[in-house]
Amino acid sequence: MKDNLVRVLDGNVFVLSEDNGDLEATVANPCGFFDLDTRFLSRWRLTLNGEGLHPLSIAERDHLMLRFFLVPGRPTHYVDARSSVIRERTISGGAFLEQLTVLNHHHEPVDFTVRLDVASDFAPLLAVGQERVPAGRFYQQVEDGRLRLGYRRERFRRETLVSSSEPAGVDEQGLTYALRLGPKETWTTSLRVEALVLGADGRDVRDLLDRPPRRTTAQRREDLHAWLARAPTLSCDWAAATSAYRRSLVDLAALRYSPLTLPNQVIPAAGLPWAATITGRDSIVTSFEALPVAPELAAATLRMLGIDQGAVCDDFRDEEPGKILREFRYGETVAFEEHPESPYFGSADTTPLYVILLDEYERWTGDADLVREFEDEARAALRWIDEYGDLLGDGYLRYRRRNQRTGCDNQGWKDSPEAICHADGRLAAPPLATCELQGYAYDAKLRGARLAREFWHDPGYADALERQAAALRDRFNRDFWIAERGHYALALDGAGEQVDALASNMGHLLWSGIVPPPRAARVAAHLMGPELFSGWGVRTLATGQARYNPLSHHLGAVWPFDNALIAWGLRRYGFADEAGRVAEGIIDVAGFFEGRLPGSFAGYDRDLTGYPVRCPTVNSPQAMATGAPFLLLRAVLGLEPAGRHLLMAPRVPARFGRVELLDVPGRWGRIDVIGSGLAAPPGTGGER
Amino acid sequence: MSDPIEAFFTSLAGQAPGRLHRRTAGTIRFELTGGDAVEHWHLTIADGRIAVSRQERPADTVIRSDRDVFDRMARGEARPLTAWMRNDFTAEGRFRFVVLLARLFPPPTAAGQPGRPGDATGAAE
Repeated sequence: MKDNLVRVLDGNVFVLSEDNGDLEATVANPCGFFDLDTRFLSRWRLTLNGEGLHPLSIAERDHLMLRFFLVPGRPTHYVDARSSVIRERTISGGAFLEQLTVLNHHHEPVDFTVRLDVASDFAPLLAVGQERVPAGRFYQQVEDGRLRLGYRRERFRRETLVSSSEPAGVDEQGLTYALRLGPKETWTTSLRVEALVLGADGRDVRDLLDRPPRRTTAQRREDLHAWLARAPTLSCDWAAATSAYRRSLVDLAALRYSPLTLPNQVIPAAGLPWAATITGRDSIVTSFEALPVAPELAAATLRMLGIDQGAVCDDFRDEEPGKILREFRYGETVAFEEHPESPYFGSADTTPLYVILLDEYERWTGDADLVREFEDEARAALRWIDEYGDLLGDGYLRYRRRNQRTGCDNQGWKDSPEAICHADGRLAAPPLATCELQGYAYDAKLRGARLAREFWHDPGYADALERQAAALRDRFNRDFWIAERGHYALALDGAGEQVDALASNMGHLLWSGIVPPPRAARVAAHLMGPELFSGWGVRTLATGQARYNPLSHHLGAVWPFDNALIAWGLRRYGFADEAGRVAEGIIDVAGFFEGRLPGSFAGYDRDLTGYPVRCPTVNSPQAMATGAPFLLLRAVLGLEPAGRHLLMAPRVPARFGRVELLDVPGRWGRIDVIGSGLAAPPGTGGER
Repeated sequence: MSDPIEAFFTSLAGQAPGRLHRRTAGTIRFELTGGDAVEHWHLTIADGRIAVSRQERPADTVIRSDRDVFDRMARGEARPLTAWMRNDFTAEGRFRFVVLLARLFPPPTAAGQPGRPGDATGAAE
């Protein structure tokens, strides 16, 4: 898919276009106007007297509004266009608005034919990259100066309604304006495109549901300012750190998404534009990372995922009682059960992570009410780990998909089909127990025990969970440790054999606390060694492993969120210098991309490229990468809530210089955190 | 009792707490068409239990459906959320109770085996 398209967006409503503002969607070029996981415009092509338009400039201040400055015809270095066009577009009140202005620069009157070709294929978002024969019927209606495009399949109906402030000649393929502009005269029309998700009675089904009206551009701009004003302020001597922090705050604002189920709250969506939806892992991890700056995201995420928690066994959706979902979608292929995202539950990590987030959220905010309100959900999640996650009855959390046709093979965060392999490249046989899942399960049980003891008044349950956690820790350290190499196996396969690849997964074990301290130093040495540490960050898979490929997402690339969790884990075990090196490497990467961390970047040695090479990706920003700078800051500042206080133990790398994170919100109210990097004697490479 | 819909609601009212969380509270009214007149069923959910009434009382969420669609969901032949996405029924009010329907109706009959995947084939144990 092309990733150089320009866009405006509001949650899951977005317009993705060419750099002249046109939409001409193809399988290879998935532009369009999208809402509720459906494409409502696949063609939106502007011509002036039959000629296409060429961009001179695009003004893209933020994700709210976009302006294109265009001239007719192909570019030459000597542009003496006698006319030009400005397109200004935004998403406002849930509709796509475009203001079209034609300027006559000539000293004579000129006749113009302005034509807008309009069409929609109503493609479901999950299928825009595929050839597909729609099962339903398309229709077009010209009515009262408006164009209505529609699609119907049984009772399922979608319509696009295009209207214009200036009178237009409307036909079934678009709108035409015939103008005569005097010398130096301009002409403007405002186009409005509404996406309608129609019910049987001809009304939009969303209008029947309780939800506030969708916000206008002005309201959203105000909200963005308020969001930035509310967040802690970072000042730091290292400009890359402040710009990454600022960029992440702005991007996190854009990623906020209000689901139909919780219309008055916002959860972080997984990525823009293609993953503006409810997800389990991405929303949980991002909310965890963002706790020091925006703890309300965690509350909404816990509510949302609690409401959608699995209730029954359903192979198609990989659903089980107590399981936390992977992804929710609304498009046609989901409605007619060609795709399982209604919601799909094929993740083995989301359920323990849910309990971890609930506990961590309470530690930061003191919001005991939420912990009490979601007791049943948290208990069901903990029960799922043993009843359904322990597939072989050997005490390990494993996964095997129920949905054999469209389900995911790998259900940890490394979910590509070949992600879990042996050092020699052999793929591991299911059902797999990856090491980080055991860490999450251990941590979830211990945190669940704290919640049971302090808030649910169930000390017996707390004791049982702690006993289970201790047994899991012992068992895990016996079965996963590869003594001769001094690291943990990536997984146990279905036969209980170690899957011995050296991978980043064991870094998460430090976050979970399942590693005995004597072994932690060996794990840290591997993470920071040349095979795993690229100079920018910890690779997903070490060089020297048969399947290592620096460009492979899960078999060599470096993921900022993975590194943020690793840095936090290193810090927890006292490896402050190592945590600082990871934080410094990742923030350095952000500096190459105007502060915006890519979801992942290539695992090349830093010495080889001198420049971080982005992996091909479709989403930018990606939520978990957006949240990474917050957790990295937490790691270098050593922030840990303890009772009513926020403990701080800054160990700041010299590169950062002085770091001040002001007004960190939590149960303590607001507090300032100040740390300072040690001055680096010349030639020593800093404090290490 | 010959009417399957009446039998379904009667069983809801009698069922022990299980799939509903104790703190889930709210009301749902079903308006079912296709019989002689519109049928009203009103559910009050609290403390893990469901109270059923035939009165046309206000509710957090109103589900309007024909009896055939409802019957298919009550038999576990259609999943409520995808049925809503297909416009097989309409929902007014709070969407969270549309999500909750999955906890009221039986699991989909085509769902495969309950329990851990692989249990049925003996592959896992």
